[in-house]
Amino acid sequence: MTDLGIGVNGGAAPPHRLAAQFGGLYAIWLREVKRAIRDRGQFIGGVSRPLLWVLILGIGLNPYFRGEIYGEVRFVVPYTYLQFIFPAVIALNIMYTSVQSAVSTIWDREFGFLREILVSPMPRFTILLGKILGGTTVALFHGCLVLALASFADVPIAPGDIALGLGLMFLLAFGLTSLGVVIANRVRSFEGFGVFSNAVILPLYFTSSSIFPLDPSLTSAQTKVVYPEWLVILVQWNPLTYAVDALRGAFIHFHQFDPRLGPIVMVVMAVAFFLIAWRDFQKA
Amino acid sequence: MKSDAVPMVRIGGVTKRYGRTLALDAVSFDVAANELFALLGPNGAGKTTLLHILCTILKPDSGTATISGIDVVGRPLLARQNLGVVFQEPSLDDRLTVYENLNFHGLVYGVPAARRKSRIDELLALVELADWRDSLVRTLSSGMKRRLEIARALVHEARVLFLDEPTVGLDAQSRARLWQHVRELRKTRELTVIVTTHYIEEMEGCDRVCIIDKGKILADDAPSTLKTAHGQQLVRIVAIDDAAAGEIVSAYPDLAVRKDADIVIKSSGDAFVEALLARFAGRIRKFSVEEPSLESVFLSLTGRELRDQVAGARERTFQFGKRGGEHTR
Repeated sequence: MTDLGIGVNGGAAPPHRLAAQFGGLYAIWLREVKRAIRDRGQFIGGVSRPLLWVLILGIGLNPYFRGEIYGEVRFVVPYTYLQFIFPAVIALNIMYTSVQSAVSTIWDREFGFLREILVSPMPRFTILLGKILGGTTVALFHGCLVLALASFADVPIAPGDIALGLGLMFLLAFGLTSLGVVIANRVRSFEGFGVFSNAVILPLYFTSSSIFPLDPSLTSAQTKVVYPEWLVILVQWNPLTYAVDALRGAFIHFHQFDPRLGPIVMVVMAVAFFLIAWRDFQKA
Repeated sequence: MKSDAVPMVRIGGVTKRYGRTLALDAVSFDVAANELFALLGPNGAGKTTLLHILCTILKPDSGTATISGIDVVGRPLLARQNLGVVFQEPSLDDRLTVYENLNFHGLVYGVPAARRKSRIDELLALVELADWRDSLVRTLSSGMKRRLEIARALVHEARVLFLDEPTVGLDAQSRARLWQHVRELRKTRELTVIVTTHYIEEMEGCDRVCIIDKGKILADDAPSTLKTAHGQQLVRIVAIDDAAAGEIVSAYPDLAVRKDADIVIKSSGDAFVEALLARFAGRIRKFSVEEPSLESVFLSLTGRELRDQVAGARERTFQFGKRGGEHTR
């Protein structure tokens, strides 16, 4: 047998072939999804979170969602609190799952699987993309779990709205999963990651105008009289504010900000975090 | 065979530093196709560093390394198609099943579906894990995990298989079984195997042994040649009485060491043994010849025992670096 002969039947497909690339991308994606399906704890979290936020907090605060302005009692926003908070809970569920899915990055490093991936002929870009798409898929699924509560929250389900909503949810999940990977690359330990992710998720969530509106009927000067200026600035600078706003636009047709702003901010977030994650991963 | 003239793996003057420590000092060697090549050395000798360079996950400071003519530094992705690795630390996903781990590997290496399926079945049978196909990896024993890793490294028909301390942490039975599987694999296909280990008895079946210490190659040859060149044959004798013992010892003043009734004589070969037997045949009660072992080869080359070493400062530094340095703290 000649040297060439072994090469022909022994060597696998060349690494640059597109089909092989997709196969590898699929493998990495499938692994992330399978691991998530087998992780009961994550699923329980994904179910209990919307139940708490929609059924308990949402129903509980529903009657109080109105303001008394100059002696006149009216809804600050022309929606019930349940409807108002519903898109934000979708964002919250996506946020938790996305950032938590990046734990698998730490897991891989700690338990050696990263080596197996790094010596494979897959380019790092494909590996990272597969991982992030996997996390995105799981997060998107957890976002859809919230949609099951739509009828409780009196949110109408129209196919067009759902399609637009799913697109926005995907974009958000992709950006946040990338953010999770960026954090995981900097923290590198399970304990640290838990603390850090909570320190990122909850403040971002609470300052995204998710649980209270910045009244659109007031001018910005008036808003600052009602809310302290630092809070308004925090909300306005939080990119998640615009993601939540975009989701509200899709599901209850309510915007607090320019409707074009949401998708733009989300795309910028997704691209920027992915690029940072990629830069980190090339050094890994 | 003509293809033997082209080395499957060639390393030329590879140097690697970790800070001020010289992990590899201008290491060069060739490994021919189909050879079972062993790297032997104590912890921190540079074996794993060398392997990591060949597996393209570490870049050498200088020097060249090729696998079947492909430069591992310049074209790592292409080189990876031709090599399979089993790392020292386990690298399986223990939340996936045996089959899923193998299938993942096949997909990532671009093995077409039909071939992937048949390869996986064939390899599972070879490493006797076919019954465990759909079990989660975390339910397997460590010996089975190792066998699975070897099978996985070959799903994409690697031409060179790297095994980094494959038998560490395994019991004697699993170790023997693992080596048996490696031998069987080499019977069924053309496969170059490069193995690092510090278990000397495992070196005996290898085609070539390269002894490496402190980043330098001390010897590189077939085990039998190494033993002849550096090893020492010993003759152990128990004489029938004190007088006979004294007589034997005084016959070899420089070579014999006596401890009570036991005498150990450094032999210079079979002729020496025959002459000794002919001379003292009637006065010996017990007689045995200890063939030179690689253990004694290592001892004579480095002046140190290979096993039972306490990790020194240098090894600890390496371990620290492997874990990712300060970032893990």
